[in-house]
Amino acid sequence: MSETWIIIGGWFAAGLTIFMFSFLYKDNPFFKIAEHLYLGAGMGWLFQVSLYDVWIPQVWDPIMQGKLLVIVPALLGLSLVAQFFPKISWVSRYGFTFVMGYGAGLAIPAVLSTDFMSQVAGTIEPIFKIGGTFNTVSAWTSAFNAFFIFFGLICVLFYFFFSVEHKGMVKKASTVGIYFLMLYFGAVFGNTVMGRFSLLYGRFDDLYFYSSSKYFYASQIIALALVIYFIIEHFTSKKRKIQQEAK
Amino acid sequence: MFKEYISKFLKLDRRWIFLLLTIVIFVPIIKPLGLPNISIGSNTKRVYDFIEALPEGGFALLSLDYDPSTRPELHPQAIAVIRHCFRKNIRVAIMTFLPGATGLIDEIVEKIPKEYNKKDGIDYVVLPYQPNYVAVMTQLGSDIYGIFRTDTKGRSTKDLPVMKGIKSYKDMSFAMCITGTALLDAWVAYAGDKYKVPMLGGVTAVSQPGYGPYLQKGQLKGLIGGMKGAADYETLLKKLDRGTKGIDSLNLAHFLVLILIITSNIIILITKYL
Repeated sequence: MSETWIIIGGWFAAGLTIFMFSFLYKDNPFFKIAEHLYLGAGMGWLFQVSLYDVWIPQVWDPIMQGKLLVIVPALLGLSLVAQFFPKISWVSRYGFTFVMGYGAGLAIPAVLSTDFMSQVAGTIEPIFKIGGTFNTVSAWTSAFNAFFIFFGLICVLFYFFFSVEHKGMVKKASTVGIYFLMLYFGAVFGNTVMGRFSLLYGRFDDLYFYSSSKYFYASQIIALALVIYFIIEHFTSKKRKIQQEAK
Repeated sequence: MFKEYISKFLKLDRRWIFLLLTIVIFVPIIKPLGLPNISIGSNTKRVYDFIEALPEGGFALLSLDYDPSTRPELHPQAIAVIRHCFRKNIRVAIMTFLPGATGLIDEIVEKIPKEYNKKDGIDYVVLPYQPNYVAVMTQLGSDIYGIFRTDTKGRSTKDLPVMKGIKSYKDMSFAMCITGTALLDAWVAYAGDKYKVPMLGGVTAVSQPGYGPYLQKGQLKGLIGGMKGAADYETLLKKLDRGTKGIDSLNLAHFLVLILIITSNIIILITKYL
């Protein structure tokens, strides 16, 4: 890629990032442009990757080589598009039936085993492994962890058990369950904050990169231009408001 | 009077907080503070130790399922893991289920293999994007060439030296999914648990706590979480890069959030109870 195109790319990247961030001040046409461009570019990228990495090597090339069996799954896939045309939308059922059938067949056993059976075993196993002399700190902490997780699981399950009225012991257990859930949500929130800041850092790092003389100070110029726009827009909208009120 | 004065803080225009946050994150980028990354996460260390213990000539299948929206967190993770594999002379196959990842994968293979003098097709291979992850993950359990007949350059994967002796999961040292989506769950279910291939993961900080059960049960051998995880891995690898550079900004931003939370709570306590 030539140097000119890299610089133009830098201006686009810096500009679109700043346009997106401008929404934090207030809604504006530049944000709208960036938003629509993001969706459009994303779809365009998806289309070309699907065409060159899937359609041509997986469908077109085999057909050209005489492997005509590929036509069957290709037609099943194409049938899904028929749902957009009311008169022939029934054709899409064939594709969906196939997708649902094999999807459910593959997913149900795998998910049941991984997310249910294994997790139930994973909660109970450590309790049965407790034993020995308890003469080390780690033995005690392992035992405590095993019981703590088991206790927490039971309490949370009580919270989500709606077939019994929540009173007496059931209420107490479900209340403890809420505390366990709150601990989890706290951890998730903390991580979410960290994650969002990481993403913000990533964009700022790129903006700093594009602020160099190599990119002709793209970040600074675009940010400044946007600030000028907001100042002008502020005064013109104020003037408009006064005129409207005068009428 | 004092209560009224301090309660104004609670009605502060949030745009001032945005501005403060911008300053706090931007300043360390312009002038790095060099704050140390001391505490290494145990789950990240498990990933490092697992790869470190592998013999030379092993084979790693890396599924880089992230797009530019999660790039700051996940790209440094992928780079660090690939560097580790190359340093250990482990062969690498890179694949993706996300069309948006293809450009980022190109970015990696343009830069990282050169650092270790690794050759395309001999030491590593980039496999083309594939939709329908369930079908692909299942197919990889029996015959990788049934789904990946060619690489991204159109070469027959079967004939590439990097793929020598590799037919399915059972020939691989490990598989790793670095993702900002729920694809790691699918990898654990359809590859790790079903075909007993050791699974490693790299996820965004948001999703990290949800993978605790998989780690406890051993369904995941290790997990890198967020930019902090990437920084930890770079520290372990002794090759500091963009993950570590972000730690300054993250530390300051977290400090700001803590101050804001504590201040707001103190003000609420004062205005309510004093």
